[in-house]
Amino acid sequence: MKVGLFIPCYINAIYPNVGVASYRLLKSLGVDVDYPLDQTCCGQPMANAGFEDESMKLALRFDDLFREYDYIVGPSASCVAFVKENHPGILKKEGHVCQSAGKIYDICEFIHDILKPSKIHARFPHKVSIHNSCHGVRELLISAPTELNIPYYNKLRDLLNLVEGIEVFEPSHIDECCGFGGMFAVEEQAVSVCMGRDKVKDHIATGAEYIVGADSSCLMHMQGVIKREHLPIQIIHIVEILASQS
Amino acid sequence: MSTKHSKAAEKFLQDSKMAAWHNETLWMVRAKRDKMSKEVPEWEELRNKACELKLYSNSHLEELLLEFEKNATANGAIVHWAKDADEYCAIVYKILNEHNVHHFIKSKSMLAEECGLNPFLMERGIDVVESDLGERILQLMHLEPSHIVLPAIHIKREQVGELFEKEMGTEKGNFDPTYLTHAARKNLRHLFLNAEAAMTGANFAVASTGDIVVCTNEGNADMGTSYPKLNIAAFGMEKIVPDLDALGVFTRLLARSATGQPVTTYTSHYRRPREGGEYHIIIVDNGRSALLSKPDHIKTLNCIRCGACMNTCPVYRRSGGYSYTYFIPGPIGINLGMAHAPEKYYDNLSACSLCMSCSDVCPVKVDLAEQIYKWRQDLDGLGKANTGKKIMSGGMKFLMERPALFNAALWAAPVVNGLPRFMKYNVLDDWGKGRELPEFASESFNEMWKKNKVQGKEESK
Amino acid sequence: MSSREDILASIRQHTQTRYDQPDIADMKRLSYPDKIEQFCAISRAVGGTAVVLGEGEDVNAVIRRTYPDAMRIASVLPDISCATFNPDNLDDPKELDGTDVAVVKGEIGVAENGAIWIPQTVKYKAIYFISEKLVILLNRNKIVDTMYDAYRKLDGQEYQFGTFISGPSKTADIEQALVMGAHGARDVLVILTNTDNEMGDILQPPWRY
Repeated sequence: MKVGLFIPCYINAIYPNVGVASYRLLKSLGVDVDYPLDQTCCGQPMANAGFEDESMKLALRFDDLFREYDYIVGPSASCVAFVKENHPGILKKEGHVCQSAGKIYDICEFIHDILKPSKIHARFPHKVSIHNSCHGVRELLISAPTELNIPYYNKLRDLLNLVEGIEVFEPSHIDECCGFGGMFAVEEQAVSVCMGRDKVKDHIATGAEYIVGADSSCLMHMQGVIKREHLPIQIIHIVEILASQS
Repeated sequence: MSTKHSKAAEKFLQDSKMAAWHNETLWMVRAKRDKMSKEVPEWEELRNKACELKLYSNSHLEELLLEFEKNATANGAIVHWAKDADEYCAIVYKILNEHNVHHFIKSKSMLAEECGLNPFLMERGIDVVESDLGERILQLMHLEPSHIVLPAIHIKREQVGELFEKEMGTEKGNFDPTYLTHAARKNLRHLFLNAEAAMTGANFAVASTGDIVVCTNEGNADMGTSYPKLNIAAFGMEKIVPDLDALGVFTRLLARSATGQPVTTYTSHYRRPREGGEYHIIIVDNGRSALLSKPDHIKTLNCIRCGACMNTCPVYRRSGGYSYTYFIPGPIGINLGMAHAPEKYYDNLSACSLCMSCSDVCPVKVDLAEQIYKWRQDLDGLGKANTGKKIMSGGMKFLMERPALFNAALWAAPVVNGLPRFMKYNVLDDWGKGRELPEFASESFNEMWKKNKVQGKEESK
Repeated sequence: MSSREDILASIRQHTQTRYDQPDIADMKRLSYPDKIEQFCAISRAVGGTAVVLGEGEDVNAVIRRTYPDAMRIASVLPDISCATFNPDNLDDPKELDGTDVAVVKGEIGVAENGAIWIPQTVKYKAIYFISEKLVILLNRNKIVDTMYDAYRKLDGQEYQFGTFISGPSKTADIEQALVMGAHGARDVLVILTNTDNEMGDILQPPWRY
């Protein structure tokens, strides 16, 4: 089983530590993992803003870079969801059949559903509040979307429960959007900031010290709010916890 | 980089107390809906069936509308067809004029709002009275609804109290909702009894029986139609359902989704005109048939106007109904506006973070968020793409397609201690309002990998 | 061409994929082990009251006990001796204004939502909405599980007008504060009887459309 590590552009630039933790976590779980160099972007920001055609070359490039791998695994539910849900349609216009969509996983999904470890050697003696990000929840079904009448489950919670010393919470609006949404964050800045502030406060109300999520983009947005308002909570990507003592 | 929606939203949020109330109150409605839907084990199957029923009926409109017409006519109703808003208004006016109607009572109808019926009739000397309490409040305030199910959700009790003091002579300073509601009950009772004609919209029109089905909690539609001998109902043609069995699906979803009630207080079936009376039914197209040719957007016609997508929408809750330029706000309004006149209503497309909650909450599975994404792809072709956004997107594409340049930009990023140039424009400003900028790492993951730092760490362990 | 023809032509021209009608008959549906108990519970939840008529108990006594101050009680039902007038004897529905209590008969109760199907069996349907309090008599053996089951029973039925009523008229249009008695009845009492006969032969209304 050969796994190609997908490191989205903003993780590459802003949160390389999340990439490092992802690699170490997969390695510790015995996975043959490699990073194809010179990845850029999956094309989601352009497409969500209404310029899907601009994502074409990126989608082609993506498909090419990861051609040889059995699985593509990335620490960003939203980017993974974009490849899975949108690349096939984008590439179809070029007459290309997308290979990536069928083998791409968010890293938590991959560990939870494919690797299924009974133990993870990690210790994190802190209170954390799970950030159930929109695309992780409603596109990848990493947790049960609250709108649907299906039994509750949460793959992030399942993995965090394997961590020693951790206390896990979820906010009262379990899976409401944090207001990032790519260009939405700047085009609708007033609403976006309000959503971000409300979301961070909802996390704080759980008593958690950390907001933990599988999407660095949401975490980045909330971090912007936390820093501006000097709020008493920090952000952390779930792989940083799962890899914390591995 | 702003749109009419984003500017109006910013204004709405300036009254932070009211905005927070609006947000939380609508969230409560969503929470009630969640609770109610979870009491029905077959909820998800109901949604599937409802969606399939609508796809069926909207792809068999000719047969079903003709069947409806035949049955309604046999029941003694008079059926009219209106191609557009103008024709619909003209038909209503003609009926009223022929019967010398001056006092006309109406229950809530989104179709009437869509077609501008009230101003049309009032300009022609007909006194139109809205009988739904929320609609009546707004009519007296000369305002439009800001939500399709909770039309006066943006109005505070003090405003209603002051309005009723002036209009109905209620006690000064009494803002109690029960007191005010009962004052309106008394005030409208007189108007119900003395109207010369009444009109309703329709939640459903049943092809197999010719029934018009109207759902209300107040009973205002039924009160209105109980006294005058002349009654009119009008419906947009996507309101057709094949038979009563189909209602056994839709009526189980509608109120639970709309307000978190197991059913509306009244679910009324109008079949025949009353003794010695007339019942007119108007079937309205107004752009609906043209939408049938757009497979990407056909599910918009599934909508049963429950408003659940508004209650769940994090943007609608924090920007209010008036921030949208189409008369129906929220996710369904964004889509209906685009379906109706994209060159006029494209501004609303910004009002979505693509969180997709609306698509999951919708009882008839309208793919609301997916359609907003698709409409955004059409903007450039319409010449309505936002220039800043286009430059930014183009700039990003340019860099992203050139990994060497992308990596160079990332290398330079921490040095300039800011964002790479492609993101500059006025993005910085808009992000910076309320949020700190993210800091670029001193070394990108790609660089670290090249230097064997990522793998090295693993090996050194 | 008439608008009717134009619209039908436009529909024909624009319709693309024709989707099949789904089979909804074999859907799993909610069912309650005790429909009467569920019906009473949900009636309370929607702001009304449902009571089971006791053995040998008189409907009129229940109504009188519940609404001791009622002056004008309307009913067309022969066994409702507490009625002070028969609304079918009026010449104008407006005369119904000021009715304190109306006693009417329902045909189907729905356990999932407390709705009761009332086909119009009176001269003026106004009576179902205009009275301050509404008493609905329902044979407790006529409660079905869901709206779907109720609509199955309506198939082929004739009526001029009919309505499902679930609890009192209500609104939350002022700040989402729930208020009973918007325009229709402020209070709804459902009396669950054991047979139709206790209420007389009301399947044959004195007035027909």
